[in-house]
Amino acid sequence: MRKLDEQREVLYVIRTLDVLMSSGVGLEAAIHTIGSGGYGIISEDFSGMMSRLRKGSSRGLGPELKSMMGKADSEGYRRLLNTMYTNVTQNTDIIETIRKQGTRMENERTESVQKYIEELGSVPETLLSIGMIGPIILAIAGLVPQLMSGDLGAFMKLPPSSTINMVVNGGLALTLFGMFMIGLKAHTKDPGL
Amino acid sequence: MIFGLIETFNENLLLLVLVVFGIASAAGGIPPMIERKRRRSIENTLPSLLESLSDSVGAGRGIQEAMMEQSRTLPGILGKLLKETLEESHSSSFDAALASFSAKTRSSQVQRVMVLIETAMEQDAPLQGILSDLAMDYERLNDLMNKREEELLGKGMLIVLFISIGLPVLIAFIVGLFTPANKGFQIDSFNFTFSLFFGAASAIALGVSGRMLGRFKDALWWMPGWIALSMGLYLGTVIMIGG
Repeated sequence: MRKLDEQREVLYVIRTLDVLMSSGVGLEAAIHTIGSGGYGIISEDFSGMMSRLRKGSSRGLGPELKSMMGKADSEGYRRLLNTMYTNVTQNTDIIETIRKQGTRMENERTESVQKYIEELGSVPETLLSIGMIGPIILAIAGLVPQLMSGDLGAFMKLPPSSTINMVVNGGLALTLFGMFMIGLKAHTKDPGL
Repeated sequence: MIFGLIETFNENLLLLVLVVFGIASAAGGIPPMIERKRRRSIENTLPSLLESLSDSVGAGRGIQEAMMEQSRTLPGILGKLLKETLEESHSSSFDAALASFSAKTRSSQVQRVMVLIETAMEQDAPLQGILSDLAMDYERLNDLMNKREEELLGKGMLIVLFISIGLPVLIAFIVGLFTPANKGFQIDSFNFTFSLFFGAASAIALGVSGRMLGRFKDALWWMPGWIALSMGLYLGTVIMIGG
C-alpha cells in the first residue's frame, strides 16, 4: 500500500520541489511546505522529519534523509531522497537533477500504464476460464450421486455423499481463491495514477 | 409465473436481505458516478486553461486578469466555477479566491495546481514557464487516465457480465436440465452451495473490475446488488428449467 501511495505522489512532489526551489525557496523550507499536507504518505514522512528536526531529536537533515531512504518502498521516491541527501552533503545542482528525474519518472509512468493495460488484457480470459471450468466440473461431480442413484449405481461404487460434498465445497473455495489471486494482479501492478 | 418464482425465494433469507441491501446501496452508488463524471470533465479542461493562462501571462497580463478573461471563454463546468469564484472574490483576496475555486472543483489535480500557482506567486517565480509545464504535465496525466479508462472499461464489464450473469445461468441450465426437481431430484443443499459460490464469484469479479478502473470504492456500492442478481439468476434459472 505504501509503495502505491509513494508512486502516486512522488511525481507531484518533484514538480512542487521544482517550482519552489526554482523560485528561490531553500530545500528545508520546501520540505516543510510539502510536509504541511496534500501529498499523502510523502507529506507524512516529511512532516515527521521536520518535527524531529524541530525537537532536536535528530542528527540533522542529512541523516534524516538517509534514514528515510531505508523506509522508502518505491524506486522513484528513494531516488528523490538520494538526490536531496546528495544536495545536503555535497551542494549539488538539485533543481537540474530533479527536473531530469521528473522527466524520467514521467516516461516510466507512461510505460508502466501501458504495461498495466497489456498485463490486465489477459485477466478477463483467465478469470473466465477458472470461473467457468471449476464450477462446471464441480457441478457434475456434485450431481453424480443423484444421477447414478438408479440402475447406473450398480455398475460402479461411489464414495459417500459426504466425501463428494466435501470435494465440491473445497473445489469451489479453491476456485474462488484462484479467482481472487488472479484479480489481485489488478491491485499489485497498479501504476498509481 | 413471475410471482411464483419470487415466492420460491421466500425461504432464502440471505438472498432477500441482499436484494434489499442491493437496492438501497445502488442508490448510494449513483452520486459517486455523477461526481466522477463532473470531476473528470473539470480535469480534462484543466490543461487547456493552464495553457491559455500561460499565453496570457506571457503576453504581459497579470494572472488575475488572465483568469478573469479565461473564465469568460472557457467552456464547461471549470469555466463556470472560475467565473463564479472570481466574481465572488471582489470582497476577498485573490489567494482566498483561488483556495475557494480549488475547493469548489473537488478535484485533487486542480487543488495541486492552485497551490503551486499560489506558491509561485508568493515567491515571484516566472509564471509563464510554470503554467506551461503544468499544462503539459496534466495533459499527459489526463491522456494516461483516459487511455486506461477506455482500454480497461470493456474488459471490466466483460468480467462482471460473464461471471455474474453468464456463469450462473450456464450452470443453472446444466443443473436444471440433468437433475430437474420435478422428477424428484433432491438438490436443495447443492443449489444453496452453488448460489453462495456465484454470489462470492460475483463480488470478486466486481472488485477486480473496479480495481482495474481505479474505482474500487465506488464499485463496493454495487456489490450487494450484483451478488443478489447472481444468486437470484442461478436459483431462478434452476427452477425455471428444472421445475
